[in-house]
This record gives sequence, structure tokens and C-alpha cells, in this order.
Amino acid sequence: MKTRIKEFRARYDMTQEDLAKKVNVRRETIVFLEKGKYNPSLQLAHDIAKALNSTIEELFIFEK
Amino acid sequence: MKEKMTIMLGIGVTTLVVFTFGFYLLANPSIELFDIISIPIILIIVLTSTYIIYDRYKNIKKGLPAQDERLKLAAYKAGYYGFVAAIWSAVGSNMGSIILFDEELRGGLVTAAVVLISGIVFMLSYFYFSRKGE
Repeated sequence: MKTRIKEFRARYDMTQEDLAKKVNVRRETIVFLEKGKYNPSLQLAHDIAKALNSTIEELFIFEK
Repeated sequence: MKEKMTIMLGIGVTTLVVFTFGFYLLANPSIELFDIISIPIILIIVLTSTYIIYDRYKNIKKGLPAQDERLKLAAYKAGYYGFVAAIWSAVGSNMGSIILFDEELRGGLVTAAVVLISGIVFMLSYFYFSRKGE
């Protein structure tokens, strides 16, 4: 799964740590999400989308 | 508050392990082979728990959670591997002893093998999954 978290984060001039604090996860989790190495729960995906003023569909690109 | 309590408890248990082992070695003037084998195992356990405590403390200090959904998932997976290792070590340690030394292990040694092997497998797989991501 690809994500556009890094791109959206840069738009709001937000660091990985800032985003991690907003969604209450560890910074490494954001790192793994950006690298596409971790599939988040629906709750976390929703929280990240909300924190970045976006939608889940915009942020997470599912590939078969 | 709960996370701080967990850290304090971890520090307490780790300190007690170190002191107990220290007193045990001081009370035994002759150190046997079993004692020498147990030193690196205890060192691994103490160093790992110290690292986990430090890592959690570092995150709490930054205002981040000590554990999140990714680490909980890693702990569940590691728990499964630890459980499988416990079953195999219960059967395998005795069988291995019979094959290698033609002697059955005493009950206490089988229990020790199960606890140590499953514990080490749990710790290693927890680190692996927490560093791997998924």
C-alpha cells in the first residue's frame, strides 16, 4: 500500500513527530506508514486523514 | 500515569533480578557450569528490559505514547511465537537430552528450558516485528 502522508505533511509543514503526537502513535509508526511497510487500522487511518485535513481515499492508495 | 507506573515496575523488577543474581553468586563460593550459562541469559534479559524501559521513557518524555497499535500487534505476534516455542521446547528439550546424553532431564530443568526458550523467542520476535513494521 502506498501513502501520500509525507506529501500532505509537507503541505502543512508538519514533522513526523507532530503528526505522531496528533494521532497518538509513536514516531516510528509514522515512518513505517510513509514507507508503506505498515497497514494502519481503520481508526488510525481516519485519525491521520482528519489530522491532515484529508480523506482516507486521498491518503492511502491501495494496490492489488 | 499507567505508563509511568509500568516503567517504575519494570525498573523495580530489573533491579531485583540483578540483586537476586548477585546475592546468589556471592552466596555460592564455587560457581558451577549451570551458573556460568545463566549469566549471559540474565544479561540478555536485563539489557533487553533496560532498553525497553529506556525506549518507553524517551517516548513519554516527548509526549508520545509508550505503546501504540503497531507495537501491540507486534507483541501479539511475538506472544504467538513464544507460545509455539514453549510447546516445542517442552517436548524438544527432554527429547534432545535423551538423544544427546541418553538421560532424561529433571522436571525443574525442563521448566527452566521452557521459560528461557519461550522468553528469548518472545523477545527476539518482538524486536524483529517492531523493527520490521508489518
